[in-house]
Amino acid sequence: MSALSREEALRLVGTGATTRVDDPASGPQYAVGDRVVTRNPNPPTHTRLPRYVRCKTGTIHKVHGVFALPDSNAVGAGRNEQGCYSVRFDSEELWGPQGQVGDCLFIDMWDDYLDPA
Amino acid sequence: MNGIHDCGGMDGLGPIDREIDEPVFHNDWERKMFGVFILTIVGGLFNDDEFRQSRERLEPVKYLQFSYYRQWLLAVQRLLVEKDVLSMEEIEERMKDLAKEDG
Repeated sequence: MSALSREEALRLVGTGATTRVDDPASGPQYAVGDRVVTRNPNPPTHTRLPRYVRCKTGTIHKVHGVFALPDSNAVGAGRNEQGCYSVRFDSEELWGPQGQVGDCLFIDMWDDYLDPA
Repeated sequence: MNGIHDCGGMDGLGPIDREIDEPVFHNDWERKMFGVFILTIVGGLFNDDEFRQSRERLEPVKYLQFSYYRQWLLAVQRLLVEKDVLSMEEIEERMKDLAKEDG
């Protein structure tokens, strides 16, 4: 890993860090409205897929674009750039009988967390 | 990592205390800690995902009891030691020196 340039450093302090790829070679796999089901990884290292959202079905709400995968970026395994989305999960899907009808949760998900439902 | 940070859906943690007019930093050392973090990132010593993972690797009891910036301090310290930027011996020596100055 190399030091940031002056321009990158000022952007980091001014607006926060991003791993967004502005001009990706290939676009995200999923589109708004696609139904997806989350995978069930249990890595001993960093992941942005919370336990309560594993093996749950949701709908692509928004396509954020292509970003580095935090899971691999955290362990020095490269950026593994891929699609990132806001995925909508109904409360009942996450919490069963304790879910509130009409409530939902939007959670950011990468391609590696998802399969087509 | 199935750690204590991943507490979504856990019961029994009680209400979230919201501080009215919460300042960005409660103490001057927190401001310094923020500066140290930015410098380590800008210097390319580690990335923010490594930093998050380092926080998540705190022992669960510490994670729950320590303040936000104390978690930052330990997370940065751990990464700097793991990456051979500093040794624990150097850190402990420096802490002894600072304690003498304060004393």
